[in-house]
Amino acid sequence: MLAVSSEFGGGTSDSVSGALVPFLPCAEASVVYPLHHGLKPPISRVSISWARGSSLRISLFKSSSSESDADGEVGGKVLEVRLGGDGEMSDAQWRRIAYGSVSPFALLQSRKNSVAGFSKMQLSPSLYHLEWWEYVMEYSKDIDVLLGNSKPLTARVIGDQQEILKNREAPTSVKAAWELMEIFYADKLSKAWLPERLVDWLADYDSLLSSTQTTVHSKLVEFQSQLIKLQIIEDESTYWEVLASALAVGWLEIVVKLLRLHGSYHLDQIAKREIENGLVEAVAVLVSKMPRMRPEIEAGELGECFKAKPDFMKAWERWRAQVTKLDSSAFWVQCTHRLTRGGLRNMLQIMLGNLNVLCSATYHWIELYISHFLYIRPLTRGLENMYNLAQKCLQLKPTSCPDKLARLLIGILGENTEVVLAECSRGFGPWMVSHAIELLTAESNQAGILLHEERHSLGEISMEELHRLIYAQVLSSHVLTWQIAPIYLASCIKQGMGLLEILLNRQPIQDSKILLKNLEICRLYDLDSVSTNIMKIAGVYHWKHGRKGSGVFWLQQAHDERCLNRIAQQLFDYVGKSISGECFLQWEGLIELLGSESKHAGGLEFLHKYRDLKKSLQHFDHGKTVIAAQEAVESLMSLMKNPSTPQRFWLPLLYDSLKLLSWREQPLLNVSQTNLLLNKLQELSMARLRPDFVEADLPPQALNSVRLALATNLGRAILEEK
Amino acid sequence: MPSSAVSYQTLAETVRFFRQTWLAFHFRQLTTDMEKSVAVLDKGTTCSSWNYCGQRLATGSIDGTLSIFDSPDPASSSFTTTSKFKVHGAGIVKVVWVPPQYGDAVACIFADGSLSLWEEVAEDARVIQWKLCQSFASRAIKVLDAQFGVFRTSLKMVVAYSDGHVKVYELLDPLELKSWQLQAEFQNVIDSASTSRRASCFSASISWNPLRSESQEPSFVLGFNSDTPHLNSAKVWEFDQAHQRWLPVAELALPADKSDQVFAVAWAPNIGRPYELIAVATHKGITIWHLGLNPDLDGRLSVEKVALLSNFEGEAWQMEWDMSGMTLATTATDGMVRLWQSDLNGIWHEQAAFEPAP
Amino acid sequence: MAITGLPKPPEIHRLTQSKYIDSVRWLPSVSPFQKHVIVAFFDVDTDTPSLEIHSLDPPKPLVPLSLWTPPSRISSLKTTRSVAAASTISGSVHIFVTGVERHDISGLEPVFTVVGKEFHMGSVNGVDLMEGNSECVSVGDDGRVNLVNFGVEGSFGKGSYRKVFDGNGLVSYTAVKWASPSEFVTGGYGFGLQWWDIRRPGEAVGQFKGNWNHGKTSGIIHSIDIHPSRKHTCLAGGSTGTVFAWDLRSQQQPIILSGVGTGETMTHPLSESEVWEVQCDCYIKSSSRGLSSSRILPAMFCSEDGILAVVEQGEEPTELLAEPCAINSFDIDLQNPSDIICSLEWESIAIVSRP
Repeated sequence: MLAVSSEFGGGTSDSVSGALVPFLPCAEASVVYPLHHGLKPPISRVSISWARGSSLRISLFKSSSSESDADGEVGGKVLEVRLGGDGEMSDAQWRRIAYGSVSPFALLQSRKNSVAGFSKMQLSPSLYHLEWWEYVMEYSKDIDVLLGNSKPLTARVIGDQQEILKNREAPTSVKAAWELMEIFYADKLSKAWLPERLVDWLADYDSLLSSTQTTVHSKLVEFQSQLIKLQIIEDESTYWEVLASALAVGWLEIVVKLLRLHGSYHLDQIAKREIENGLVEAVAVLVSKMPRMRPEIEAGELGECFKAKPDFMKAWERWRAQVTKLDSSAFWVQCTHRLTRGGLRNMLQIMLGNLNVLCSATYHWIELYISHFLYIRPLTRGLENMYNLAQKCLQLKPTSCPDKLARLLIGILGENTEVVLAECSRGFGPWMVSHAIELLTAESNQAGILLHEERHSLGEISMEELHRLIYAQVLSSHVLTWQIAPIYLASCIKQGMGLLEILLNRQPIQDSKILLKNLEICRLYDLDSVSTNIMKIAGVYHWKHGRKGSGVFWLQQAHDERCLNRIAQQLFDYVGKSISGECFLQWEGLIELLGSESKHAGGLEFLHKYRDLKKSLQHFDHGKTVIAAQEAVESLMSLMKNPSTPQRFWLPLLYDSLKLLSWREQPLLNVSQTNLLLNKLQELSMARLRPDFVEADLPPQALNSVRLALATNLGRAILEEK
Repeated sequence: MPSSAVSYQTLAETVRFFRQTWLAFHFRQLTTDMEKSVAVLDKGTTCSSWNYCGQRLATGSIDGTLSIFDSPDPASSSFTTTSKFKVHGAGIVKVVWVPPQYGDAVACIFADGSLSLWEEVAEDARVIQWKLCQSFASRAIKVLDAQFGVFRTSLKMVVAYSDGHVKVYELLDPLELKSWQLQAEFQNVIDSASTSRRASCFSASISWNPLRSESQEPSFVLGFNSDTPHLNSAKVWEFDQAHQRWLPVAELALPADKSDQVFAVAWAPNIGRPYELIAVATHKGITIWHLGLNPDLDGRLSVEKVALLSNFEGEAWQMEWDMSGMTLATTATDGMVRLWQSDLNGIWHEQAAFEPAP
Repeated sequence: MAITGLPKPPEIHRLTQSKYIDSVRWLPSVSPFQKHVIVAFFDVDTDTPSLEIHSLDPPKPLVPLSLWTPPSRISSLKTTRSVAAASTISGSVHIFVTGVERHDISGLEPVFTVVGKEFHMGSVNGVDLMEGNSECVSVGDDGRVNLVNFGVEGSFGKGSYRKVFDGNGLVSYTAVKWASPSEFVTGGYGFGLQWWDIRRPGEAVGQFKGNWNHGKTSGIIHSIDIHPSRKHTCLAGGSTGTVFAWDLRSQQQPIILSGVGTGETMTHPLSESEVWEVQCDCYIKSSSRGLSSSRILPAMFCSEDGILAVVEQGEEPTELLAEPCAINSFDIDLQNPSDIICSLEWESIAIVSRP
């Protein structure tokens, strides 16, 4: 087990293990949430039950002693509390992300398996495939698209003259967190340009840093709203403040656009304010020519892009020299507009990396941090340096309640996987943890070891598996997302199938569509015992709820011979009661379904034969042909000879066939057949004396009429055969 | 203190928080409408029980009325009464659903100590209705708890009585819930010599092992709240197929706690742990036990008490494990609902609590 | 996503909804630029079903035009040029006028509703309408077959129903399709199909037993289609990826178009899971040499494993869509058969336009 102190990055461990860390007392109470039930107290008892996934149902019973009260007939309530959701997004948004992340996740897992397969065969996977991180990057991009608008540039907009910030879909902190992890863990290409990647990240997500305190973004939004009312913009100190702030965090397009709103550009003023305008333009040009060390600059963005460090250094020195030159220019004296002069020179100080000026131009510590990369230490390398720089910025701009994104950033910079996971977990929920683990393990072996190590306290599973199980359980909580839980459970080697079995066994079976979708999952994951169980539940449910046909179908699918044999017994009983009635027609479909050769149908073979007899008797009734009559006799004889024909059906069968036995045209049964039937009749008469005999529901004279018909037939048959 | 301590504190706290709450509950909204009402119960309701898939609710009331609640659709989570009928003169104290393989049926335990089984069926007339399948009438000895377990093709019902006896019944006909056969009868003691004739038990709690594989033998855990010390402690009973008898294979109590009255027991689902997890509630608190999977030479299973959760007031009423067996939910006489989890170090903590509020 | 068989892949638009889609059908459109669809939704967040008419212009989202709240979720939805019929899982059938003669599009109210224990008990699994006929046939889990008469054209609103057959739950029907104004086909468990003639009430006039492979696999029919020009041939789809045609003239021998367990003939079935819907596909490929009347029409089907494909006797199947989630229903636009609308499990609708 990892100890807390050993996990902290170099140089900080002394402070962590020391008394500086104000741990709360260990036995502090957990959070107590009120359960609003709207009932009048007192509540006499509480009962609990877990519903889907991690939903908990709580029944509250009112004390029955309190007779008359405001609740009337209400004696209690059942409340459902769903654990493991996310407050930031609506249920529907959350489901969309859950659906969308299935394919990228599954693809990455299958690639992981095939790469593992290659390494087992001792082939170098890189010979056949892309580098692993490139797969992770593809995965990360797919997920990123899912999390929201893929073109969320805050500031780089030239449009309406008065519009500095473009209205757009509000960015989500989930997406911000995802991109942050992508930058640090997955995107190997960005390693050389980390500071610039962070500059871009802040441009997209500055608005999320704080909802209560000022940020550069909120300042800009506020200024934007006042813009229309302002007559002479350069007379406003906020104009210059906003300019400085935007410049400090590197939003060059906004800076230049704002500068061009300066009054000296007005046609009617340009002549009078030539020097002033020249200075404003000079600053604007310098801003737009700022050298940036990054692979590319998108169209419409300002700055000059350099890929190699020597080129950049040269350009940077040259640019700084130009800034210094402008700063010491003699024209400043001739600039009469005090605010312009001050504002522009302040901007030059920012470009020259004056820490005090940067400090006052920025609000959040991350903004100050970003300004360091732009103007003070553009070549910052290595996470340790970046971490120390972050600490410095935090000291300069201390914050009382660090935001979840800021905490995540510190965790990443501190190179502490456990903290990163914890921040993902508490800030963004189980979805984030289970998906971000792929990013965390993309490069780092250490993170891989931490996440893949099997822990006894967790029941011999790894943290990775644990978090997938938790996410799967959260998915199981919802009626529409439980079907994607198996994808994640399948990637849990040790306990995934166990949880999947429980999940499937707890799905309702009443709706046949849901049942079939459920069985399809069983088929995909070879869970035959589960599907048998589900089909049996469905079979019994339908059988007992008056849908005997579907009941038999599902019990047959489940190969439940015990139930089917019982059902065969029940069918006998039913048929025995009403064998002469026409309602047998209705049984046809069911008997059809049972299938003649199904061994599971047990004694139902009799029913098939009986059905055949009924049919041929009908034919005989219609046509009275010899062929039909002979067919009917064959059916009757095979029924009467068959040992599986229950004794109590003998008489009804014969009574049904009375017309055959007494057909006037010719005797249909030969002597031996008639004798056999007479013997059966005799047997029956004996059996009737026994106490357990079940009398068929027939007219009292039935036996006699059959006996008479048989006797007559015998006589005629003897004559015929002679 | 240097001002950067803010971040250090954040880091250290985060890790501590994470280690203790790795399941990290995130409530949908931590506002007043976090909870959703799914059903309103009638006056006089004393107990409730959800079926296997959480789609039907059965409630019992003080006047012996059983109510069944259904939702209009499997995807819906609002439940209203669809059947309501009087099943007995005495009040219902407990409702238990029969496993779904045997239909939609419940067992009701009444205040007078009798037990009856009711089933929803469509008779020939095709009107779906609840009918009585079997009644186990009481005399002097009361039924305290009854629980069902499904094993291979058979359904077993364990019934605990107020005289400290336990009876195991087996269903004979898979489609008829009326034909039960008594398979075994014994007392909840390890040593059969210590059976007592005059026990008087106030309550009992039974929990079946939610079996995963067909090869395992059926087993359950049982504890009593009685005036007879050696009956009380929770014991694990396993069916010995070879000799067709039930044997006690483990006792979930330390020597000093053996006579403690047991209020509730709960056997966790096992999705692949190399040990079983059982929670036992006594007046000292809730104890969590690891139970070994493989018996020793005497046929006993190894037990290890891994936690005593005692930082709450009152006696436990009910304990329920979630589907993965990672979270234990409990209720107690203080009216609070608590959620417990083990952290990464194997230490059990209370992770959240819910307090009913008007 | 592998799309084979077509020189040019079809154009696909996915429209994300925030509700589950139970069923979707095209409605006849007045102009080619204004397409309308009728969709049965279920909003899981509020537990409310709805039947809605939307105008469609992909890739723009659906524009709702009118809405009606059924008593429970829609189990089956069918449309003709002028009428739509919807059945619910609670056992009711509702008839709507949707045709072009319907001027007011703001309201969607049934012109006729049948409900009650005498009608159907439990879910009505299938309904069907026939062009120009004012009878809707309905079948259910309860084994009942009912005919709902919603009056003659022009006088909607007066309706009645009559029972054709009551299986008393001994059989259950899952799908139904008219073959002619007096004949229809039902399907159910065990891959069974029944041919009914309302002039000969009381029992089915033809039975197709689903045990062609000797009971090795059995399943449920989920959907039936009969093309008006081939009313003796019935197309059916169901469990284990099965799509087959049953020719009434050679009753006991089905023509298997797709599916597992069908012996040597099908080496690689497109789908092995539930086929939720089948429809005759009259979209003629430009290269096609015209369809002889002896051949079975090409059949389009959608499946639980996310396949939308066209299968044809003796031809390689054509896969139009392969989704990571189930395709629960689809409908071919009769006015423009190149367009198909599908409802996907993950709360979205896909529009496929074939070149």
